[in-house]
Amino acid sequence: MSPLSLELPLALVAALSGALAVTSARRAAWIALVLMATAAALLEFRPSDSLSPALLLRLTAIFGATLYALPPGLLAWRALVHDLQPRRLLATLAEHPVVAVSAVTGLILGTIPLALPIEGSSVLLRGAGVALLLIGLPPLLTSRYVEATARAAVVTLSGALLLRASILGALDLFSSIAMAASFAVLLLIGAAVAGQLTKAEGQ
Amino acid sequence: MSEAETLQMLSALRAFSPLLFALLSLPVIPLVRSNRFGSRSDAHVRGGSAAVLLLLASSVAALLAGSGYASTLSVGLITVDPSEPGRLLVTLGGAVFALIVTVGQGRRAGAMGQVALFGLAIIDISLAIPIGLAPIVILLVGSASLSALAAGNKEDAQRARAVFRDLRTVGVLLTVIVVAELLRSAIPLSATDPAYATTSSLTAGVAMTLSLVLLGMIGAFPFHHRLVRIFESLPIVGSLMVGVWIPAALSLIILNELSLLSSSVSEPIGGAVVTTLFFTGIVTLLFGGFSALLHDDVGEVLGFLAVGNAGWLTLGAAATLLHPSAVGPLLVALPGALVISLFGLWRISIRRHYELTSLQELSGWARRTQAIGVVLICAAAAQTAVPVREFFSGGFSIADDGGSPFITVGALFGAGSLAAAAIRLFLVGLAQESRDVHRTHAGKILSPAAIWLMAGAILISGVAGGFINIEAAASGLLRPDAVESVPQNSTP
Repeated sequence: MSPLSLELPLALVAALSGALAVTSARRAAWIALVLMATAAALLEFRPSDSLSPALLLRLTAIFGATLYALPPGLLAWRALVHDLQPRRLLATLAEHPVVAVSAVTGLILGTIPLALPIEGSSVLLRGAGVALLLIGLPPLLTSRYVEATARAAVVTLSGALLLRASILGALDLFSSIAMAASFAVLLLIGAAVAGQLTKAEGQ
Repeated sequence: MSEAETLQMLSALRAFSPLLFALLSLPVIPLVRSNRFGSRSDAHVRGGSAAVLLLLASSVAALLAGSGYASTLSVGLITVDPSEPGRLLVTLGGAVFALIVTVGQGRRAGAMGQVALFGLAIIDISLAIPIGLAPIVILLVGSASLSALAAGNKEDAQRARAVFRDLRTVGVLLTVIVVAELLRSAIPLSATDPAYATTSSLTAGVAMTLSLVLLGMIGAFPFHHRLVRIFESLPIVGSLMVGVWIPAALSLIILNELSLLSSSVSEPIGGAVVTTLFFTGIVTLLFGGFSALLHDDVGEVLGFLAVGNAGWLTLGAAATLLHPSAVGPLLVALPGALVISLFGLWRISIRRHYELTSLQELSGWARRTQAIGVVLICAAAAQTAVPVREFFSGGFSIADDGGSPFITVGALFGAGSLAAAAIRLFLVGLAQESRDVHRTHAGKILSPAAIWLMAGAILISGVAGGFINIEAAASGLLRPDAVESVPQNSTP
């Protein structure tokens, strides 16, 4: 199967999970974030024959940081199944229509070529990139919750990198290392600050 | 080991010397704090002393390693080529932070030394790799990490919120810098089809997005809030590193990118970018100066003085876009960082002596602690000298190049208000002693600690104000040999 044929489902998964990552709470949000980051990284690096070191580095950084940032007991199986029921996820999206509309609008806007010289541009990558930017930017600028802001930062940055990849391709080695570190740092600092604020305000 | 491998090992040691000292601090500081080296009650003193020694060693090693060909490491596609400004920032920063950690002491002196060591290593690495996305991302992410490290595990809501604000800023700026790189990469291709964006519009877009990253990171108006909260709530070493030194390195990279951008196009950069930067610079200068005059908390006053410094950097960005070959705007970053560091030295000296943060409660301090007064006089003198040297008589003349009398008058008023804010701090010290100050034991001006403090402050202000031309001397020491040198990056 051509790797390009996977772009449509990956773009849809990235947009949907990005929307859930900024609207859901606790388990669903973290699982959605991991799903979004994985789909976005696969779209960005387009692994064909072998996995590139940059892709492995990105996934390791995000998975590692998410595991560290997850509150204890969040991966309990029964609770996980309960929180990830499709009915619940749809209800969450229905409660945040602006985000759901942003995701759809982003995917549609991505089909319109930008006014840039982009001969090698991919419509689906661009659509997913614009959708993630539209989903992530408002909560990144306005959210009062630390972990939600960190997740929104990861969604927005993934969107910007997808948009960049749709035109210029994957990042160089230095930039890949720096970006993998960025994702990890955003999640780790978010978790640390959320813990400190909870403790300080609980006193 | 073959001769080639030995040479490569030596190059790696020279290229990564600040990072190696930072990594060395990870086992050394906990080790010297352990009971094996003395009592538990003195652990923080031993940790602080080890951090000071490592900072000084890092500073000397950066000076000796230099930025020449022998310090360039090439492994496969990876090239790390230390730059002159990077090495100069580490050399001076190591000495400045060693002095601040020595004066500050405290239970977290070792940890603060580590924050300074890692901050300087991040600055050195970011200025050693080729221009592009990576160096700016390293500085942004390093800044957020260091502010979290400086805040520590203390359950202090104000500190946690300052780090949260930093996290949000870095999250936004990372996205903006990716967009800037996207637009910049499209410029060479813009002539291929008239249906695409024009070269002029793309250049203006890149200049605007890069300037936005610069303004957000240095804390220019209206993005000043983050900077003020950092100075108000984080320890002074963390505040200076995150609020002044890392932004100084970032401004060197961005001003250089703006210079390359502006010189690569024949038409002037449009979109009112230059005008907006001039206006923002003047407003930031005035806002920083007048706010520093009106606030009472020492941390906030220092934060607003740093905002004023951001005003000069913003004017520097505008000047670079107008005159890409001018070096004056580039030279304001390091002296500005040194000036704010002197105010930081004054703050930590005052705080250690009196444990007070309110200026009203601090009245009369200069009558009892003359050595700290010398530090403040040095800071004020350097603050006045920097703009005079760099902007009114140096490589960039605001009066000639600003294009409007409004810009010149605004810059003069801004410089005046910043100087007035520093003089106000000193006048508070000469006022009648407050009860808190009167109760405190007065230090001797001729004690070794006071002499060390005054000598350090005089040297730093001499360098910042240009009275001691260490910049040229250090450039000479660090300049790579013209024949052997193979410049890998174009960072100034």
